[in-house]
Amino acid sequence: MEPQIYILVVEDELEVMDALVNDLEKFEDTFPVETANTSEEAKRVTEQIYESGGEVGLILCDHVLPGENGVDFLISLQSDDRSQKSRKVLVTGQAGLEDTIQAINNADLNYYIAKPWTREKLHEVVVDELTEYVIKQEYDPMKFMSVLDSIRLADVIRSGRITDR
Amino acid sequence: MKKGTIINDRDVTLRFIRRAIDETEELREHVVSFDKDEVLFEQGCNLHHLYLLLEGSVRLNRMNKDGTSLDLLTLENGHYVGLVAFATGNKSITSAIANEHTSALKIEQGEFEQYMNDHPRLSHPLQQLMVSNMTERFMKNVVLESKMHSLNKELEQEGEQLKKAYQQLEESHQKLVHQEKMATLGELVAGFAHEVNNPAAALLRSSEALKENFLNLEQSDPRAAIFSIGLDSEPLSSDEQRKRMIEIHNRFPWVAERSTIRKLAQMPDSAHKIIQENRKKIPIETLTQQFEAGKFIHNIQVASERIANLVRSLKSYSRQDNNEAEMMDIREGIKDTILILTNRLKFLDVTLDLKEIPSTCGKLGELNQVWTNIIVNACDVLENGGKLSISTYSEGDYKIVVAISDNGPGIPPEILPRIFEPNFTTKNQGAEFGLGLGLAISNEIIRQHGGFIKASNKEEGGACFKIILPVKDC
Amino acid sequence: MKLSIKQFYGLILGIIGLIIPFFLNIEGLSEAGHVALGIFFLAAAFWMLEPFPIYATSVLVIFLQVILLSKEGFLFQSATETYTPDSYTAFMGTLANPIIILFLGGFVLADAAVKYNLDKNLTRLLLKPFGTKPAFILLGLMVVTGLLSAFMSNTATTAMMMTVILPIIAQTDLKDPMRIGIALSIPFAANIGGIATPIGTPPNAVVIGALSQQGVNIPFGEWMILAVPLVIIMLIFAWLLLLFMFKPSTDTIALDMSGKFNKSKNALMLYGIFVITVFLWVTESFHGIKSAITALIPVVFLTLTGVVSKDDIRKLPWEVLWLVAGGISLGISMKSTGLAEWIVTSIDWSSFGTLMLILVFSAVAILMSNFLSNTVTATLLIPLAVSLATSGIAGEGFSLIIISLVIGVSASLAMMLPISTPPNAIAMSTGSLETRDMAKAGFAVGVMGIVVIVVYALFYWPLIIN
Repeated sequence: MEPQIYILVVEDELEVMDALVNDLEKFEDTFPVETANTSEEAKRVTEQIYESGGEVGLILCDHVLPGENGVDFLISLQSDDRSQKSRKVLVTGQAGLEDTIQAINNADLNYYIAKPWTREKLHEVVVDELTEYVIKQEYDPMKFMSVLDSIRLADVIRSGRITDR
Repeated sequence: MKKGTIINDRDVTLRFIRRAIDETEELREHVVSFDKDEVLFEQGCNLHHLYLLLEGSVRLNRMNKDGTSLDLLTLENGHYVGLVAFATGNKSITSAIANEHTSALKIEQGEFEQYMNDHPRLSHPLQQLMVSNMTERFMKNVVLESKMHSLNKELEQEGEQLKKAYQQLEESHQKLVHQEKMATLGELVAGFAHEVNNPAAALLRSSEALKENFLNLEQSDPRAAIFSIGLDSEPLSSDEQRKRMIEIHNRFPWVAERSTIRKLAQMPDSAHKIIQENRKKIPIETLTQQFEAGKFIHNIQVASERIANLVRSLKSYSRQDNNEAEMMDIREGIKDTILILTNRLKFLDVTLDLKEIPSTCGKLGELNQVWTNIIVNACDVLENGGKLSISTYSEGDYKIVVAISDNGPGIPPEILPRIFEPNFTTKNQGAEFGLGLGLAISNEIIRQHGGFIKASNKEEGGACFKIILPVKDC
Repeated sequence: MKLSIKQFYGLILGIIGLIIPFFLNIEGLSEAGHVALGIFFLAAAFWMLEPFPIYATSVLVIFLQVILLSKEGFLFQSATETYTPDSYTAFMGTLANPIIILFLGGFVLADAAVKYNLDKNLTRLLLKPFGTKPAFILLGLMVVTGLLSAFMSNTATTAMMMTVILPIIAQTDLKDPMRIGIALSIPFAANIGGIATPIGTPPNAVVIGALSQQGVNIPFGEWMILAVPLVIIMLIFAWLLLLFMFKPSTDTIALDMSGKFNKSKNALMLYGIFVITVFLWVTESFHGIKSAITALIPVVFLTLTGVVSKDDIRKLPWEVLWLVAGGISLGISMKSTGLAEWIVTSIDWSSFGTLMLILVFSAVAILMSNFLSNTVTATLLIPLAVSLATSGIAGEGFSLIIISLVIGVSASLAMMLPISTPPNAIAMSTGSLETRDMAKAGFAVGVMGIVVIVVYALFYWPLIIN
């Protein structure tokens, strides 16, 4: 059995969180969405996910958070093997250039979505990042073809992950 | 010796010498005459003779190194010309030019002694003239020296004044730049506010209309009921939501999709009741959609109200429309400032204790900059969760006090006396967008309002700024 | 490892199935036959309910046969009256059976083709003549898919074709039924196309392996002569069916035909070896070089030249080879222990006519392989068919080759469900069609398949074989 892959959203403003989660509804059947309002809560939630045998495939994180900020949180994830492989995306209107550079260099940031986001852009980024995650982790591509980038996944099958039986 | 005797003596002596010349053939041969502007000798030449002016006048002119020529003095009859060079044997330091038709006795070097011996009756007047010439020149020198001294003094004074004026100019320039900046900002804000107000108003109105559309349903219809519940719902924190999602799982075992469970978790129990009651009649998707519609309209309203409030504060904060002194309530300005700084204050523990204070006359926009400046300084030193307290109260009938204090590290004692000096800063310049531009300007603004700022460190730690303003009518 | 309920029953059934024959005394069945029956039960239960991956069951089958039935095993170290045990090498040798080597050659060729994008570029080239009309595009897609899957794995072909059709599907209107037609055309064509050559799909290997144990050798080219006409008929039928069921509502479809053939030295080498190998395979009957020997050409030369690297070799689908080997191995002991003959004799076959037999085998094979792996279906059915034919019970005209072909071909014509074949699963997982659509169309193809097979088995194949 392959582990359940989660999407984690870290955002302190509840209305914004509401809107983000609503925009992620399409993915929820395949990738359950977990939410956290602070980075501390996010760490607790990821720990719970790992304990239940799940994985965090994608983290969408705001920068301005109470307590530890988003970039520092993403950097702290790099020290754990389980969260290091998660795809990381900043969704923010406020991170300055320096913070962003730091996130790219030290947190292996994969994408930066500026607020206000559009649903199309969000979907595009989520699809790209999760596709990348699924391919890198060598999970069965067929399970994800209907929600993720089916062409890229088909290409993975083509080069020999699955064959006749 | 009385003033004027030298000249009188000189006239007498000269008359005597003239007479002697008239009488002596030998001396007459030595009288030379010059036309107007004729040069007696050039600056820098070696002089072999000396002239005694008998009639007319001669000016001494010196050509300076920078190419300018300067008339030094005018010699009249009875004066020697070329005396210095003649006496020292050095090159002449001036040129001598006739001012008018002039005649003079030309005395060759080496012949002077001869004259003295040959014409013993001339020897005394010539010597007397020489002495009087010397005396006159010395006295002139003394007068010049003292004149120069007083001139120097005047110059020094003027320089000092100039320096002061320059400093004032510099300060008022800085203030002007700052005012200009604030004015530009105000202008931008006013334009921006106007532009934002329109869409914000459209948002607010449309969501209101949308709400009414939805509410047009029959009130007894469960869809309308659940929509109304959605309208009043507040978003849950993710922790609460998680807890509720587990509850929902038990309460609605027939719901499998996680996204639906999440939506149910966001609903209050009253909405669940409606769903349970109508489970057979209306699909759960329809009801959750109705609830979501209500919730999103609610979110739109909350968000657009926030925009409208921000814009209003931004407008009154910058006060571009009115830079005149007016009767104002300082507390309004403080509230606006805090709203403008929401972003910085978001994670601080801010206590407001704004007691009733009388209105006073002042420029609200300028005072807002003072609050901004002090609050931003506090934000810079406070960590997340730091405490900031702002209070207003009146002392007697004529004084308003605004106290802004924090529980940060305080102001280092060694810089405490200097913080209101112009250009004093502990921050990297240019790093922040300067809403508050230095305590010096704050100080200046408060001073202009007839008040003063005091900065101190509290005993329990942290800095405290107290602003005392007079109560006055415009 | 967590087992589902189905898998749990599979495990229990398999173990019980293995043990029970030891406690029974079945009349007419040798002692070794009892053991072989136990292994057959276990294999059937494990393969059908899959408590373990099917390739793992295959090696388990080889292992059990070696330790229980071989001369070097625990039970039959010397020959008895009823059973002369085979050497363990007979069972293990199946892993290097010529058909396995033939497949290995096919794998290496296909793998290199994918690596150098030969499959994609060939697709574009071949699709060009089909124009822009939806009906012809659909035909083009099916022809190309069928052609490629004859030489590559059906699954890889389907996956590659998905990268071609997904952009088309994304462009078409959501309500256009053609979306479904196109999405179904690929797995259908791939399943059908796999029948065309011995290396097209593993059931073919099982059939050829079983026949070669009976001393019947089917050259590559002869298989094609037998199978290709059927493939063509089935492709045309499936095309018309899909056109009829999912009528396109647009007039034209734009295909992105951009792409360039790789012209590097390695790629050119690959093209050359590809052409030579396929040519030698197809013309086997003329020059007599066995196709398994020819299959070594790509293996040898593509590895010697470094066109195929060590990593590429590691990525080959070795488990398919184990699966086929296990199937062939199971056939060995079923025959030598007399188990197959016993099964055959315990049923009154004479009440069936030849037509009926073909019909039943074909229908059962299609039905089974709709739920089971095609290879497993062929593996479980072939021993029966073989003993039925060799025992002569079924009477005159019941040819060994024909009944084997019926089973092999039928196993590939099951395409009703997403679980029927990996190509079906891929098509379904793109989310552009529903199981209902697949089941309807797949059922029609299956029924048509039975009809065509019966017709071919009665009229066409006997012509070629005799």
